[in-house]
Amino acid sequence: MLLVLSAEHRAHLGCLPRAGGAAVGELGRLALEQLRRGAAPRACETAARKLNIGVDTIQHGVEGLVYLLTESSKLMISEVDFHDSIHVLGFSDELNKSLLQLYLDNRKEIRSILGELAPRLPSYHSLEWRLDVQLASRSLRQQIKPAVTMKLHLNQNEDQTAQVLQTDPATLLHLIQQLEQALGEMKMNHCRRIVRNMK
Amino acid sequence: QRFRFCGDLDCPDWVLAEISTLAKISSVKLKLICAQVLRDLLGEAIEYDKILKLTSDAKLESGDVKATIAVLSFILSSAAKHNVDSESLSSELQQLGLPKAEHASGLCRSYEEKQSPLQDRLRACSLRLSQLGSVRWRVDYTLSSSELQEVNEPVVHLTFNVRDRERDKMTAVPVTLSANKFWVLLAGEAPGGVAAGTSW
Repeated sequence: MLLVLSAEHRAHLGCLPRAGGAAVGELGRLALEQLRRGAAPRACETAARKLNIGVDTIQHGVEGLVYLLTESSKLMISEVDFHDSIHVLGFSDELNKSLLQLYLDNRKEIRSILGELAPRLPSYHSLEWRLDVQLASRSLRQQIKPAVTMKLHLNQNEDQTAQVLQTDPATLLHLIQQLEQALGEMKMNHCRRIVRNMK
Repeated sequence: QRFRFCGDLDCPDWVLAEISTLAKISSVKLKLICAQVLRDLLGEAIEYDKILKLTSDAKLESGDVKATIAVLSFILSSAAKHNVDSESLSSELQQLGLPKAEHASGLCRSYEEKQSPLQDRLRACSLRLSQLGSVRWRVDYTLSSSELQEVNEPVVHLTFNVRDRERDKMTAVPVTLSANKFWVLLAGEAPGGVAAGTSW
């Protein structure tokens, strides 16, 4: 599977051969830092001063590298395909090899970062519960009415929400039975077949 | 096999696995680590550096140190939760493989000292939706209003300060009642014996 690089992308990466071998290493490092922690304009300015190139060119170069690396890691393209995709840029063999090395070394890490970007539903954090028995109320004395009060703590993208639920023991048993049936579905033939094929 | 400190259930596998890690630490150091874990369970700050220093002799990796803290936390809080006395805890820990002479008895002695405060703390942490903080009141006397020139009625203002456990905030709920309504709130029936629940 080949990557198709747009004209703008090619122009951004075009600064690389002019910058020279050491610069490519520096830009690669900046690109990875940007992937890990987000854009760092200060770091780009320092690099620009050190390598004696314009800040804008450095910025474009870093962004071009970031895009190249994320697209390649996303599609998990092979070495040959990566080599063929950047061949169209017309870089020297040495530059091609260092770019390939950069891709192969960091592919796994980039994939794990990309994995965390997917949208997420609220997930379970913890459950507090309490068992009460109502003995009397204003309207009726001498009752026995058990109730289970639960507080479900959920996590969504570092946001904590809590939901308070209350039920009687009979409904709770029914709920547990339904959930156990759902788990039991995993052991049925249909699910087993699919799980086996996924492995 | 059922254990009382696990609530009459089987002991979790991970606890069984970590008992052997506990046995690697000397009993004196184990007692000091217990004291730190009890501090954490009672809500005071845990001094992680001290625990690291105490476990450095046994050459435990950082994963093992965290596991030690976790298993001690579980044993102590679970024993307090199910109101297990120190003797039973000691015999059950020995059944799990913790050497008696020093480790189990040292651990149980620390537990026994702090059992009451620990149970009080667990009781305070139990699920509680909201809590009444305080009530403030004021009685006014309305002389007249835009609707009626001579009103001459007493009016009670109440403010309930409710504490929200989660956000640790106090919310004020103001309520204003006429004198008759206030009687219903207080005594369950209006003065003159009219049944509560009739609207005015």
